[in-house]
Amino acid sequence: MKDISLGQFYPADSFTHKMDPRAKLVLVIAFIVMAFLAKNFLSYFAVLICVVSATLVSRIPIMKVLKSIKAIIFILVFTGILNLLFYNGETVLWQWWRIKISVEGIIFSVKMVLRLVLLVMGTTLLTYTTTPTAITDGMESLMKPLKYIKVPVHDIAVIMSIALRFIPIISEEVDKIMMAQKARGAAFDNGGLLKRAKALLPVLIPLFVSAFRRAEELALALDARCYNATPNRTRYKVMKFTWRDLVGLLGTAAFIVLVVALNNNFWGAYASPASVWWLFSV
Amino acid sequence: MRIEVKDLKYVYSPKSPFEKVALDGISFTVNSGDTLGIVGSTGSGKSTLCRHLNALVKLQSGEITVGDIRLNSKRVDLKQLRKNVGMLFQFPEYQLFADTVKKDVEFGPLNFGFSQAEAEEAAKRALELVGLDFDEVASKSPFELSGGQMRRVAIAGVLASRPSVLVLDEPTAGLDPVGKREILELVTALKSGVTDTVIIISHNMDEIAEFCNRVIVLDDGKLIADTTPDELFNRSDIVDRTELDYPHTVKIKRLLAAKGVDLDTPALNAKELTSAILRRVKG
Ligand SMILES: Nc1ncnc2c1ncn2[C@@H]1O[C@H](COP(=O)(O)OP(=O)(O)OP(=O)(O)O)[C@@H](O)[C@H]1O
Ligand SMILES: [Mg+2]
Repeated sequence: MKDISLGQFYPADSFTHKMDPRAKLVLVIAFIVMAFLAKNFLSYFAVLICVVSATLVSRIPIMKVLKSIKAIIFILVFTGILNLLFYNGETVLWQWWRIKISVEGIIFSVKMVLRLVLLVMGTTLLTYTTTPTAITDGMESLMKPLKYIKVPVHDIAVIMSIALRFIPIISEEVDKIMMAQKARGAAFDNGGLLKRAKALLPVLIPLFVSAFRRAEELALALDARCYNATPNRTRYKVMKFTWRDLVGLLGTAAFIVLVVALNNNFWGAYASPASVWWLFSV
Repeated sequence: MRIEVKDLKYVYSPKSPFEKVALDGISFTVNSGDTLGIVGSTGSGKSTLCRHLNALVKLQSGEITVGDIRLNSKRVDLKQLRKNVGMLFQFPEYQLFADTVKKDVEFGPLNFGFSQAEAEEAAKRALELVGLDFDEVASKSPFELSGGQMRRVAIAGVLASRPSVLVLDEPTAGLDPVGKREILELVTALKSGVTDTVIIISHNMDEIAEFCNRVIVLDDGKLIADTTPDELFNRSDIVDRTELDYPHTVKIKRLLAAKGVDLDTPALNAKELTSAILRRVKG
């Protein structure tokens, strides 16, 4: 239960945990770009090294990061198989009607799956090391320039953080209400779909009633504290760009350069790649 | 109905950074006819303990027997267990859902296999027990009642299934003084009927002193006392350690003792206290 209240946040005292959320957001975007830049297996390998070293620096158990892949296993299998069967490659191994398995198709679908896995690993690292509140604060700060075109950045951020704040409260409430109705003999896990949906009514109705009550109370509380009376609010936790963020940015930049270099075989520095190299540089 | 808890242990979010041992080696027995109070500071594990009694949380380690249902066995008859053990949660009025009071109170009985006619009869009796006029409230929406009335409807919803054991998690929190008394008196009155065993969680020591014949004290997941209210409030070490405070009557008794006036009998409610003082004055 308590884990929901912090999203996926995994508390630890690490380099990454102490980084500025803004820097981490930028890094994640850079990482996504990096994963899309990678072309051959060598550069994919570089991206993998990047994620693994970031994981090690964050002191997150590697198993935990791998677990996040489980959530998208269906998408992985689906894209993998689809690409494998329908890729329009030259070196055909087997063909039946529109379905065609080719060497290029195999390579392409492996890369596709690899890219998705890497993307998920990198982005979950952000949610593992940064609380949802810090993420919204970081986003707000990064979106500041939009203020000049009259986007209510601060209000959007407040809405987001309130929503985030309420997820754990509501999930706790769901738990409590379900228990209370179970104590009165309600059963949620048997019967057909319709019966199950109907069984949820005694949970949903009190949930909505209390959500509206809470929203109303919160609005009153915000008003009572003169929310939005002053245009420039100060914050309790000031975000600071430190040496850690610089190291992170430089490290990621180095990896991006490496990926690009590997994509291009170091611009011919290795004129005749050995056969093993060839295998990886497809 | 007899309840036996043996060596109960419960951990929230085990093997994660949020791991929290909520109950640690709890053993006690509740006999038929007992009104047991459970006290302890906030977060000591009282609610977690009670949720075990009708299997709302999964038993991790230890043994629980309620009547003749063993909660460890592979196939527990949950329906029967939950019919036997009625549970009233903290702030139960937030769990009302039906469009009329009558339907809400009938929800439990219908789930436990009462026929429609039986459920209606049970709802009527339960609502009258909690001091509401059936004809007046039956067809109202529970959401148009006052907070106190909603609480009564929620209590009726539990009583309607006629449980043998009634577990109340802070039943009087947030009620006015008269409402508090009424609810506890109602519970005590119930004990002459089907419900023979009552378990009350409360932070109000006056209630514990007056209505319970036994009390257990939890402190950070451990059971540190299993005794009677009279003995508990004589043991200042436990009361101070758990920041429980004394009932008003006991406070007066202690103040008198400090002034050299020793009352030799227990003083757990106003009546006992006054008669003890009178005896002292006259004798
Ligand atoms: N769903 C949960 N997930 C994780 N920890 C929990 C959960 N529910 C309770 N706890 C923790 O377990 C401990 C015992 O909680 P419990 O609700 O049983 O206390 P309590 O004695 O009923 O307190 P109160 O008097 O405030 O109602 C607390 O430290 C609490 O933080
Ligand atoms: Mg509690």
